[in-house]
Amino acid sequence: MTVDYIFDFLTGLLGGFLGSDYLLLASMLIPCLAIFGFITVYALIVIYAELKVSSFIQDKVGPMGQGVGLHAGKWGLLQPVADALKLLLKEDIIPSSADRPLFILAPFMIFIGAFISFVAIPFGESIIVADLNIGLFYILGVGSIAVLSLILAGWASNNKWSLYGGMRSAAQIVSYEIPAGLSLIVVIMLAGTLNLQDIIKYQEGGIFNWIIFDNPFVPIAFVVYFISALAEVNRTPFDLPESESELVAGFATEYSGMRYAFFFLSEYANMFVVSAVAAAGFLGGWQSPFAGFMSTPAWGVFWMISKTGFLIFVMIWLRWTLPRLRVDQLMNVCWKVFLPLALINIFGVAIWTVVFNS
Amino acid sequence: MKRYFTDIYESVSSILGGMGITLMHLIKARNDNVTLQYPEEKWPRPERNIGFDHNSYNVIRSRLHVDMDDCIGCLKCERACPVDCIKIVTEKAPVRGEDLKEIKHKGVTSNGTRKALVVTRFDIDMSECCYCNLCTYPCPEECIFMTGGPNAKKHPIDYEFSEPDRSDLIYRFAKKGAKEGLAEMNAKQEAEA
Repeated sequence: MTVDYIFDFLTGLLGGFLGSDYLLLASMLIPCLAIFGFITVYALIVIYAELKVSSFIQDKVGPMGQGVGLHAGKWGLLQPVADALKLLLKEDIIPSSADRPLFILAPFMIFIGAFISFVAIPFGESIIVADLNIGLFYILGVGSIAVLSLILAGWASNNKWSLYGGMRSAAQIVSYEIPAGLSLIVVIMLAGTLNLQDIIKYQEGGIFNWIIFDNPFVPIAFVVYFISALAEVNRTPFDLPESESELVAGFATEYSGMRYAFFFLSEYANMFVVSAVAAAGFLGGWQSPFAGFMSTPAWGVFWMISKTGFLIFVMIWLRWTLPRLRVDQLMNVCWKVFLPLALINIFGVAIWTVVFNS
Repeated sequence: MKRYFTDIYESVSSILGGMGITLMHLIKARNDNVTLQYPEEKWPRPERNIGFDHNSYNVIRSRLHVDMDDCIGCLKCERACPVDCIKIVTEKAPVRGEDLKEIKHKGVTSNGTRKALVVTRFDIDMSECCYCNLCTYPCPEECIFMTGGPNAKKHPIDYEFSEPDRSDLIYRFAKKGAKEGLAEMNAKQEAEA
């Protein structure tokens, strides 16, 4: 465990000066700070990418800065920094009729849900905060904290739009967790473990050993998982909880400044988590696509981040391609298409494994 | 049952088709984009043909310009203006037809007229101007004119007329410090006398 390594290192370094309680606390805080720094830097990059990709798709140029004056830097590179500064400096408004403690609690909870998922994400063979033996299950489990905090935000705002957004998010996330979980069962069946590191090690040896190319049912499972994950993180075309044309901003209507920024940040952090799970479960995680080629631990981080980044790019790409679904269409797709498909996949993979692989 | 599968097929194929279209736009964004980086880039001025040679006829009434060295302060343009956007104040020059170097006043116009008046204020409010061109015809010295066309060298053609402040659209043509300089000169003369 990373915390143990850091604790041993700190004890060797500072063991004579500080008590072991303080060192344990410090060795727990250091990975937390690292994850927080990673989320912040990643969010800035993805916000910039989202601005640019959306603009290019719509034949615009996006944030640009030329010439002299107060511009957003070369090619608008400072735009996300400016956005973050604006959100930091904004007035923090709490409506007088809102349920104050719950209203304050909701952004913290949604960020905690996104934050603790990062603990189990493998960035490399030894670069993981906690190598849990139920890593995949853990990530699916803590991902559900988002539902609770979205309902909390919707209820505490004491506003019709927010409440509608909260209820929609509850219906949507609870429904789509079922096809997402069922399609990840395919991965668990093939790898025979819930440990994400072992799942990645199972896919060793080049692109054709990845789980997605294992048999013809797995690509369908991958698509079902990816679209369900899209719905779980409330991205367009499944952004019904915050559909701005009907519900102003849904659960986030009454939030402003830093509290709104936390909703925003955790949406992007959740995007990374679900993409990382898809990359680790189906696309070989930190394994190189060519056996023995660029497969040192440093390149492992590169492969993991680039696979995740590609899936995030697909999410952004989908967002600027498809219009938003209606509530009944959303439920139809989940219960009448994805759930049967996921179940058929499980049976298909089971039969395929028995017939061909044993 | 058949409907169910055709629906799935249609939605998948149409989503893939839409993603293909957006991907093509994403790749060709550099060529297709229609945004103009406005202050740095501008649309080219449209060419037009009204039967005259651009160089010999002033087709573009961009904005008024006054050659102050030629202005004799006759107020004819001020009276001709239908919207009263020209404001002129003149004072008697101490000597007729002589250069006053202190206030950069020229005594003789390029037509040979000897000036008796010093123009201390010549303001044109271009936000009020209606571009009727009526002030340019009565001018005896031909010193007030619309720029653009053959006069484009004197004012670069600037069709946006964008200023940070509305008062920046009031063009002050009188020589700077003419009023104060003239009062000083008069006071000096009185003291000598």
